Amino acid sequence: MHPLLRAIDLQKTYRKDANRVEVLRGLSLDVHEGEFVSVIGASGSGKSTLLHLLGTLDRPDSGEIHLEGKRIDNLPSEGRDKLRNHTFGFIFQFYHLLPEMTALENVLTPAMIANSAWSWWGRRKELRRQGMAMLERMGLGQRWNHRPRELSGGEMQRTAIARALISRPRVLLADEPTGNLDASNGGHIIEVLRNLNRDDGLTIVMVTHNLDIVQESDRVVRMVEGRIEPAAALVNA
Amino acid sequence: MYKLLLCWRYLRTRYLALACIISVMLGVATLIVVNSVMSGFSTKLKDRLHGLLSDIVIEASTMEGFADPGEKMARIRALPFLSERIEAMTPVMEVFAIMQFSWPNGERVTRTVHLVGVDPKSRNLVGGFKEHLVQARSKPGEFSFELSPEARKRYEYREAIMDLQQRAITPVDPEQPPPPARTPKRIKVPCGVVLGNLIASYREKAGTDENGTVKYVEKYPLGTDRSEVIITTIGGERLMPVYDNFVVVDYFKSDMSEYDSQYVFVPLEHLQQLRTMQNRVTSIQIKLRDYATAPAVVKELRKMFGKDGVRVETWEHKQGPLLAAISIEKGILNILLFLIIGVAGFGILAIFTMIVAEKTRDIGILKALGASNGGVMKIFLGYGFLLGIIGAWMGTALGLSLTFNINAIEHLLSNITGGEIFNREVYYFDKIPTNIEIWMLVLVNIGAIGIAVVFSVLPAMRAAMLHPVRALRYE
Repeated sequence: MHPLLRAIDLQKTYRKDANRVEVLRGLSLDVHEGEFVSVIGASGSGKSTLLHLLGTLDRPDSGEIHLEGKRIDNLPSEGRDKLRNHTFGFIFQFYHLLPEMTALENVLTPAMIANSAWSWWGRRKELRRQGMAMLERMGLGQRWNHRPRELSGGEMQRTAIARALISRPRVLLADEPTGNLDASNGGHIIEVLRNLNRDDGLTIVMVTHNLDIVQESDRVVRMVEGRIEPAAALVNA
Repeated sequence: MYKLLLCWRYLRTRYLALACIISVMLGVATLIVVNSVMSGFSTKLKDRLHGLLSDIVIEASTMEGFADPGEKMARIRALPFLSERIEAMTPVMEVFAIMQFSWPNGERVTRTVHLVGVDPKSRNLVGGFKEHLVQARSKPGEFSFELSPEARKRYEYREAIMDLQQRAITPVDPEQPPPPARTPKRIKVPCGVVLGNLIASYREKAGTDENGTVKYVEKYPLGTDRSEVIITTIGGERLMPVYDNFVVVDYFKSDMSEYDSQYVFVPLEHLQQLRTMQNRVTSIQIKLRDYATAPAVVKELRKMFGKDGVRVETWEHKQGPLLAAISIEKGILNILLFLIIGVAGFGILAIFTMIVAEKTRDIGILKALGASNGGVMKIFLGYGFLLGIIGAWMGTALGLSLTFNINAIEHLLSNITGGEIFNREVYYFDKIPTNIEIWMLVLVNIGAIGIAVVFSVLPAMRAAMLHPVRALRYE
């Protein structure tokens, strides 16, 4: 049986002027369905780059990425846009909500992208109901009409999680989701993620610096200089 | 859907975009006002020219004109194709002349004029004459060059007195046999003449109306039926000077300075006799039942008179250079004024580039959520389109309000600056003429919206090409 997500020998180098920074140096990783994987490592070890490559936001210089056995890193941009819209959900450290939109509109953005104006008009009530349900689930039912600047950090991150979940993704890619939150709010977000994984069977790949929260995940992988550290080394760590 | 929502939200939240809207608005308003005024002037000019020139002119190529216009008109009437389409015809003789007259204070004036011999009866049917006569236009019936009965009696009396004086002063020599009895002198009353309005008149301010617009009144010091003019022209085969006295019976006021300051009308028959060119004219003016048939009628007339050495032209062909000049002037002005919207376009380019930079992270978010490059591009193209539409609509509203109130605005500006902006003495219009054409409004709006969209393309492409990861990391 294929893993849900497989990265094979990924290499990625960033170039700026004459400088070359090798971020990933032959990284391979399997993520199975329903798994909650934490990726840890020092700054610059390539954690976020790995997440971007897995989520088709960027292309590797070499290596392959497979989703349920099908290669996705070489898809044309339309195919990759669809994957990001339907299959992958993203959560970022700085929430990345659209400031002009309300919490509900932010949650509904992936659905708006997926539907044409005509189709949206036909399904607007149903989609709004789904968006509201998602906000209710995140404890933000009363805040649906608030703009991001009127929400706290924890509320913004929960709105971002609701947005990531609205299109029922197969994989949730979280890039330091608690990095900008205090311990209490961070703990709450991890609890939400844990519940999503446990109750809904959502596959989660989370990048974090925080070693306290990785206990919640099923598996921890450590990245060192663009490679996954062997499991033995991780146990010793 | 997100494209529409974001366009609308960007419009409501980015006040910088207001600068784009105002620049498009001002460009559109300027174009509408200038085009409406220019179109007003040119429409009035065309109407007046058409009214004066009749639809088609059969014209001699020499000053001697052509003989027997009656025969030519009979040939035209005999052809059913032409007679069905032609409403009226009139023969005309035109020649340059020198005119002399005295103002009431005794000052003598000599000037060159364009002398036109017209047949009042047929000319009334062709039009473009009686309706321009200051006195006759308000009187019923046909215009005639005849003097009023009182004036006629006065001139007859004067001639009789002069004849008696002539007899009285003739010396009688008692040594000589008496001279043979003089045959009674045939009393000659001068013929009537219509002078161009600007030849012997001046304008005087007569206060202001309720809107504050300055009103003018025309003064005619020579009056009618009491002032004589002497007209000298050339006649005969050897082009010898010939002259005669005429009495002013009316004034021709077409509001076309070229005509009103040059044209002098006398009876055709009298001019033919004076020039010893009986039964000759220089042109035949034709009025059509429907001007749309003009090309076909001209073609047929050219076929008919092709060997007679005459030119057959419509009034538009005759005035071709003037009409073409107006059209070219309007075209060039439009191009120059569209540059104003072009400048607004560069403003849109600069402001959109700033907005794209400001929104880089949002673009990254949208791409991370699955928005395509085309989708991101459409947000900014739609934004430019929306700015263009709002700017164009506001500009249209402003332009139309300015156009509808242009005379009041002119009056206000004249009061503020202390000088008359639209000098009615120069233009011979009581008001600034305007003509709003729907197609012009549509073209200006399409042009403005098009420019707004075109200048949004570059920033929109830049936004579309942003790499999502770099956009998300943008600080």
